[in-house]
Amino acid sequence: MITSIAWKNVWRNKTRSLVVISAVTVGVFAGVFLMAAMNSSVVQRIDAAVNEEMSHIQVNNKDFRSSAEIQNIIKDYPHVVSVLESTPGVKSVTGRIIIRGIASTAAKSSGVEISGIDIEKEKQMFTLSDKLIPGTGSFFASITKYNMVFIGEKLAKELNIIRYILTPEALSKLKEEGIPADIISRIDVLKDQRFTSDKKFAKAFEKILDPGEVSKYGWKIKDAAWSYREGSKLILTFLDFNNDQTSAAFRISGIFRTNNDMFEATSLFVPVDELRQLTGMPQGTYHRVIARLDNNDLTDKVTPEVREKLLEYEVLNWKEIMPDLAMIVDFIDQIYAIFMLLILAALAFGIANTMLMAVLERTREIGMLMSVGMNRRKIFVMIMLESIFLSIVGGFTGMGVSEIVIAITNKTGINLMKYAEGMEAMGYSANLYPTIDTQFFITTTILIILTGIVSAIYPARKALRLNPVEAIRSE
Amino acid sequence: MKDYQLAWKNLWRNRRRTLITAGSVFFAVFFALVMRSFQLGAYDRLFKNVIESYTGYLELQHIDYSDDPGLDNSIEIDSSLIDILKQDPNVTDVVPRLESFALAATGSHTQGVIVMGIDPEREDKVLNLSKKMVRYKLTDQARESLKKEPISGRAKKLLDLFSNESYTSDIRLMLDLGINEEDSAKFLPLFRKHASFRNPYLRTGQNGSVVIGDGLSDYLKAGIGDTIVLVSQGYHGTSAAGKYLIGGIIKLPAPDIDNIIVYMPIGDAGELYAAPGMATSAVLNLKSNNDDDIRQTRDRLQKVVPNPMSVKTWQELNALLVNQMEADNRSGMLMIAVLYLVIAFGVFGTVLMMMAERRREFGMLVSIGMKKGKLAKVVSLEMLLIGSIGVAAGVFASLPFVIYGHVHPIRFTGQFAKMYEDYGFEPIMPTMLPDTFYLWQIVVVLIILMIAIGFSTRKIFRMNVISALRA
Repeated sequence: MITSIAWKNVWRNKTRSLVVISAVTVGVFAGVFLMAAMNSSVVQRIDAAVNEEMSHIQVNNKDFRSSAEIQNIIKDYPHVVSVLESTPGVKSVTGRIIIRGIASTAAKSSGVEISGIDIEKEKQMFTLSDKLIPGTGSFFASITKYNMVFIGEKLAKELNIIRYILTPEALSKLKEEGIPADIISRIDVLKDQRFTSDKKFAKAFEKILDPGEVSKYGWKIKDAAWSYREGSKLILTFLDFNNDQTSAAFRISGIFRTNNDMFEATSLFVPVDELRQLTGMPQGTYHRVIARLDNNDLTDKVTPEVREKLLEYEVLNWKEIMPDLAMIVDFIDQIYAIFMLLILAALAFGIANTMLMAVLERTREIGMLMSVGMNRRKIFVMIMLESIFLSIVGGFTGMGVSEIVIAITNKTGINLMKYAEGMEAMGYSANLYPTIDTQFFITTTILIILTGIVSAIYPARKALRLNPVEAIRSE
Repeated sequence: MKDYQLAWKNLWRNRRRTLITAGSVFFAVFFALVMRSFQLGAYDRLFKNVIESYTGYLELQHIDYSDDPGLDNSIEIDSSLIDILKQDPNVTDVVPRLESFALAATGSHTQGVIVMGIDPEREDKVLNLSKKMVRYKLTDQARESLKKEPISGRAKKLLDLFSNESYTSDIRLMLDLGINEEDSAKFLPLFRKHASFRNPYLRTGQNGSVVIGDGLSDYLKAGIGDTIVLVSQGYHGTSAAGKYLIGGIIKLPAPDIDNIIVYMPIGDAGELYAAPGMATSAVLNLKSNNDDDIRQTRDRLQKVVPNPMSVKTWQELNALLVNQMEADNRSGMLMIAVLYLVIAFGVFGTVLMMMAERRREFGMLVSIGMKKGKLAKVVSLEMLLIGSIGVAAGVFASLPFVIYGHVHPIRFTGQFAKMYEDYGFEPIMPTMLPDTFYLWQIVVVLIILMIAIGFSTRKIFRMNVISALRA
């Protein structure tokens, strides 16, 4: 009964209630959506870390991480694998040979970490093979007599393997993409010139175009001029198992692109057998065994189990390897809660104001209700409920709208091209696909109800203090 | 009665509503200011650290150096060029540097490092390097002997938390160990006795000696008096190698640089890299480090420097960092925008209610001869007053936090500190003192009020007096 009276009361002054409700709607929507967007960058970072860079759990020789010497191997590889595979929650296991070396081309050289991988296994376990840039070859699909290597785009750029050439095809592609003909005719002077870095290329067209055009079309022009000659070679230099310096030529099998510049610039993959042969590593030995779990939530549970069984090795999960990221994950719920609380506190002012108004203009009516025998507790509850309805209607609408917008943007993505350089340097993607835990909606609902209650306290007390006799006489 | 008096009196006819509305503005302004202050303070600190421990505010470089950093893009800085540069009113000194990469080895450890050839005395004026030399280090031995001394129990406990930490100043050391100012005078001699070490800065003419970063020293497990071997490639592809004595250890506030830096006199660096008299860049020491002045100085100098040199500001030198901070800054601004949006609705709701509630009053006023324009003016003044009360209260309430936070910045410890350092930030959260961002809050509130005023004015002018009287 009280509930339905409260509900009807809300709609007695439609405009006023709607203003408050829309305030709550907009506040909750903006808060939830902003959080979803921020959350997505963390989720995507973890995804990349687990699916492309390091997997869930790693087992290393105890000395391997402090001094990455080639002799620090996992001697009993079959044992480690069988322990991992027999642990519940572990999905698949593979070994890697990991050595430090220098990659060089005729023009440049750069320090890298060379991973020898089992092609078939890694293809199943990781998504790195999907990150191949179309048109740059394959993830070790073709069989050749050469040594093959899979490298990141950033490294390829640093080694001048990727160049920028405005070929006639690139120009016609730009035309198709709707770049104004006048711009294309102006950059035509750069046709068929070879630029060894994107900065040099950018500098060249920045001289021709004005800044507005550069920011609008610059990345499209760069994209079109991006050029790579298949079958390019590079030399890898490293110390072999006897600490002798060894060099070997490798042909590039494919180039991958991720959102992590550091990883792209320093990681390079070759088939494990090739690397074993070149380094003279004993058969059946590896530096690292990596394991994928059925799902990420198992990480904290499985790690200690494995660690206990493999005491002579170093067992680490991704959270321990990247404590900074783990920390963000642990704190992110609190950060959301604080931010939502701030928004809701701001909303509480509006709700309180409206409720106060509603109580004051109904002084006479409330006095009447009291004098015909409605007890004070019920009046208190009625006002509380009105306030909760205001916040809940707004809150649910807001959450509903944000759910829809999140679902849409999750498909289309939000592109922060402008900040790509900075974000990718830290390993974060500039393409956000907003997503949020269901848990967050539950927390938000609780917070919204609390907001309704807190903002009604003052108006409700005001109503309780009314003296029925005076209240009835008031205008 | 004057309009503003009327407005002021009206405000207090419904005290609660005025206070709640002003309260909501206060709330938004207060949080926005404190949040912005921390955020901007963090950026400011970060940039200052990088600028003051590395790039300087303005640099002279070879035109291709930023795209292709290397000795082959170095420049020759002779006295005639220095004279030209010094003629600029904002330039006080030109300090050449020769910077390149090398592989540093000590015993069994190797690490890629940046070798920075500097003019020790003049560079000190730019980067204050001599003040950043490590003065105390809480080594295992130092901590053991300190624990035997009569220092407070809390400090003893904290000693372990900061094991192996290095300090460049008494203040930081005392702050970390939770020792207050009175006690520090008593305890400092003890720390001097056990935890300090002789650590001289570079001197011109003292050849063969280098100063390395504290992080690098930890990594290489090499201290003062040890030998470090540098191997690299010199000018025009010559091979470069040299053996140096570690003369001192420096702690730079930017961990990224601290972990890989080796300073040596520029003469030594020129010899090592077979590039005597050359420089990869020259830092211009300025009178005013204000952003506008820097830009103007750059524009002026750009016209006088010979080809192929170019003058770059710290923003251009740290483009990546500027971009990262910009992205972060945008997310902070978005949060505040949401907060203000909500407040705007609140203010709007109040205005709506007030207009409805006072319809009869307004009708009466107009019918006894008050001009609608004057009425609208009084109502607008009321709203401006509410907004001003909120803004003023917000500004005043934020000041103690902001000022305290600036004088005693929050310092993170433990895992938080580690996270910050992993990202290359100093684990410290200072606030930014009131600046233009304070003005922006006022502007935003004014915009919100203008919308509300527009609404109320329109309502008043469209009011039908007869029906309003009957309301």
